Amino acid sequence: MKRKWADFIAAMLFLLPNISGFLVFTAGPVIFSLVVSFSNWNLQHTIPFRWVGLKNYLELWHTEDFWLYTINTVYLMLALPACIIGSLILAMLLNQRIRGTVVYRTLYYLPSFTSGVALLILWKALYNPEFGPINALLNWVLNDAHLNGLFQAVLGHPLKPPEWLLSTHNLLGVGTEHVQVAGKNWGVGARDAIMLMGIWMGIGGGNMLLYLAGLSNIPQDLYDAASVDGAGKWAVFRHVTWPSLAPTTFFIVVMSFIGGLQGGFEQARVMTNGGPAATTTTLSFYIYNKAFQEFQIGYASSVSWVLFIVIFAVTIVNWRLGGKQVAE
Amino acid sequence: MAETIDRTEDREWIEGRKKEARERAAWGTTGRHFVLIVVGLTMLMPFTWMVLSSFKSLAEVENINPLPSTWHPENYIKVFEQIPFAKYYFNSVFVAGWVTFLQTLTSAMAAYAFARVQWRGRDTVFKLYLATLMIPGVVTMIPNYALVVKLHFLDSYAGLVVPAAFSAFGTFLLRQFMLTIPLALDEAARIDGASHWQVFWNVVMPLARPGVITLVIFTFMGNYGSFFWPLVIIKSEYLRTLPIGMLFFDSSYGKQTNLIMAASVMNIIPLVILFVCTQRFIVKGIVLGAVKG
Amino acid sequence: MKTVYAGALVVLLALSALAHQLTPRREVGDRLLLTWTSDDNPARREQIALFNREHPQYELCLDPNNVGMEKVIVQSLAGVGPDLFDCYSYAQLTAYVKAGVAWDVTDLYRRKGMKIEDIWPVVYPNFIYEGKVYGHPTNAATDAIWFNRKLFDKYGVPYPAGDWTWEQFIEVAKRLTVKDSQGRYECFGFLGNRSEWFPMIRQFGGRLFTEDGTRCALNSPEAIQGIQLLQDLIYKYQVMPNPNQESAMAAAGGWGTGTITLFGGGKGAMAHGGRWWLCLLRDPAYKDLELGVTEFPHGPRKVFWGYGRATLVNALSPYRRQAFDFIRFEHERPYNELINNQADALAPVIKFCSGQAFLLNPEYPKEDFNQAWYDVMEYGEPMESSPFVDGQVVQRIIDIQMDLVRTNAKSAAEACRDAAKKIGQEIQKCLEQDPKLKARWERLTAGDR
Repeated sequence: MKRKWADFIAAMLFLLPNISGFLVFTAGPVIFSLVVSFSNWNLQHTIPFRWVGLKNYLELWHTEDFWLYTINTVYLMLALPACIIGSLILAMLLNQRIRGTVVYRTLYYLPSFTSGVALLILWKALYNPEFGPINALLNWVLNDAHLNGLFQAVLGHPLKPPEWLLSTHNLLGVGTEHVQVAGKNWGVGARDAIMLMGIWMGIGGGNMLLYLAGLSNIPQDLYDAASVDGAGKWAVFRHVTWPSLAPTTFFIVVMSFIGGLQGGFEQARVMTNGGPAATTTTLSFYIYNKAFQEFQIGYASSVSWVLFIVIFAVTIVNWRLGGKQVAE
Repeated sequence: MAETIDRTEDREWIEGRKKEARERAAWGTTGRHFVLIVVGLTMLMPFTWMVLSSFKSLAEVENINPLPSTWHPENYIKVFEQIPFAKYYFNSVFVAGWVTFLQTLTSAMAAYAFARVQWRGRDTVFKLYLATLMIPGVVTMIPNYALVVKLHFLDSYAGLVVPAAFSAFGTFLLRQFMLTIPLALDEAARIDGASHWQVFWNVVMPLARPGVITLVIFTFMGNYGSFFWPLVIIKSEYLRTLPIGMLFFDSSYGKQTNLIMAASVMNIIPLVILFVCTQRFIVKGIVLGAVKG
Repeated sequence: MKTVYAGALVVLLALSALAHQLTPRREVGDRLLLTWTSDDNPARREQIALFNREHPQYELCLDPNNVGMEKVIVQSLAGVGPDLFDCYSYAQLTAYVKAGVAWDVTDLYRRKGMKIEDIWPVVYPNFIYEGKVYGHPTNAATDAIWFNRKLFDKYGVPYPAGDWTWEQFIEVAKRLTVKDSQGRYECFGFLGNRSEWFPMIRQFGGRLFTEDGTRCALNSPEAIQGIQLLQDLIYKYQVMPNPNQESAMAAAGGWGTGTITLFGGGKGAMAHGGRWWLCLLRDPAYKDLELGVTEFPHGPRKVFWGYGRATLVNALSPYRRQAFDFIRFEHERPYNELINNQADALAPVIKFCSGQAFLLNPEYPKEDFNQAWYDVMEYGEPMESSPFVDGQVVQRIIDIQMDLVRTNAKSAAEACRDAAKKIGQEIQKCLEQDPKLKARWERLTAGDR
């Protein structure tokens, strides 16, 4: 009896530093931000503090900007399938006992591991439409290597290297001020630039390592059985590899969605400042502006809670859809 | 009498199938290497450009020829002259050091409480910890900022370290690790009269070392590259960490791309070195975090 | 394990001591460090250097990285704000005062013998709120007409002599709007800078708000007349470019700077601007420019666009008393003469804007028009404001409507009507948020009901 009590005290003491920090900086703020999202607090004392109920939420529902930024966020997530499948392919390629696996793995993981402001600044320089090497290379390929002659013949006009981070055009033709798709918006622009960069950064990262681990867990017997049955490569993949990797894929998809919906902030802040014409403003960048530039704490909290609810809902949906498959 | 069935033919048939499969795979090997090399080059090229540009003079950066005509290693010195780069380095390492220290210590102690001691409500509280892992960072950062403003921690080392020093993820990771250590060891030590504190340091922590090292690496790296929180907290130049310093360097010093690239190289090199040295832990850590999660 | 942690703790504590040593202090040697949050430009640096020379006990430095009203307020509330910061409009001053961040220095003015009457009235809204003084202006300005003498000579038009009505102005401007053989505009008679609308409505007797600020008065025939004249300059008399024509001619963007570049590039014979344009036009790139200054044209009343900037003291700064010495510095001769020399608009104190030194700066002998800048100050009127609505919101609404007027998407009457309606809605929103304000508004409008 006394021991149980002593245990309890000991546990509490061990827990104390962590849980007090947890309550003050994590759990507390969660409640606080929900509560404050029903107010008009702007941190500056310039307007009297009042509870406004659902006004913030209604306001954001009716603001077209909010929907535009949601589209921007989702647009950047279009790279996810390419990223995940790419990671799988790389993992499969590396999964054989060939020389230099470790070197390749290090190389592929490098972009993911070193990602941060320095890398974003690097890509901003790479994407510079006049001085950057990407357009210099494209220019050389199109003009000096005379590839444009071909385009001229087929399309009727030569291709110009895209303006990347300065252009509001994009591969889906999404417009800038209103939620619409139009032909005149077609092109390669800022959103696509960030998307492509995201693929470069993500394809060899944690996902690849997870797939490698998953692949190494597939028992050799399954492969042997398949090859004995005379199965071709594709059939082996479909019936052995893919199903065995299902739990890994499921985990990766769930995590990618959670990360993708929150993402785009660093890219926006470092590379484009949300532009051009707010095309790279994702929801997290919008929240940053509202909360830390305009200090509209109440409104920004409501947007962040909406984001949270969306992430939660998407995760539940993924769980339902994927969980069933994994169980099979 | 039972005959011994001759399996030779069967075995030969199996070997034959296996050989065929290997031959099919062998053809793939050249192709495989080709793809791997191409992908490797794509991964490597931006880094190469970055390093090469850092040695160029400003006018040359725009040249399509990647190699500099003359090498300018003094660019690296110039970076230190133009901005207080050494201070930025110090700040990043200092803040990350404190955060890692505090986080691993408090997480280990909390993990001990969750994994090694029985008490009422233990699992409920732990589920609460887990629940917060899914919450987007922005939700908590806004009230944290308001709190820091009220407490006058804004624009200070304390403001950078304290809110980041507590992590539910660290607690989670170390708890999983500790669960793999047999409780019998604890029991033995307790019977010998050891207090919980002694058991913690002398029995559990040494065995949990791989997990702790993984957490140390991840926490340090994560905080070294932390951008959002320092961005909103820091006002004065003397406090800037590397990411913030790089941001201001890029936006305010005209287009000195060669110097900016030199700064980026210096920013990234510690990460590369860290990665190459601790690869095993990192890879294991990612898998561990995912599988148990 | 324990030793590792203990060792790490020791190292971190040592580093902490080092960090503490490296933290910049407020007292540097025997000088006190003061911060001024303002934008960075060579003129500002000169002003600061002058202050530091005159006051060796201080080291005033510039912080251009945290400019922005909201940032200044929040940082000040958190205890890390600057000692001095700039205020660009009455709306900002209101916010600063309400946030408790602007320091009331009315008593200090009296004690140091500084008089408000010595300062150009046009800047009062930037630092005087409800009868109390909160800082000091950095400069004062009233816009007038810059004209390009060479273009006037080229088209054989005599230089304008000032004090002219719109009819006379349009005559002159028409002769200076010239197309080339292919029908493209070589030169426009007049380039605007987006702020004409305000003096123009006032000239015809209109107002932005009623006297007590309870209603937006843009929807009156007088105000509409002013705006319509503005639209007519572009589309009826065609002496002013519309936005498309402007961007076709323009080299750079940005408010003001675009107009200056166009004017400097000889694309317009006359332009509406301030003396501070010289900060850019003195650049050697424009050495061939022959400049002249004359009054802005007037209607039944003579009203010109007036504005300025003020420096306020942070009420929450522990060194606000010392920071006030900079405020006093802005009231004295050395600073005022420097402003006049730099041509950063006009010095804030009236009596220093006269005399030979002001009229002719030996470094810039071509600038013989300083008397004109002095003369127009009398007629400069600053933007109106209302205590019942946020000035920045009003500015945004008006900017949008003016854009529509300038692109001929709306008539002046429609734009004024829509602006008045939207501003009325904003007033109501503001009243809902603040019951005391609402009570005050209802008292003032009791007579209307």
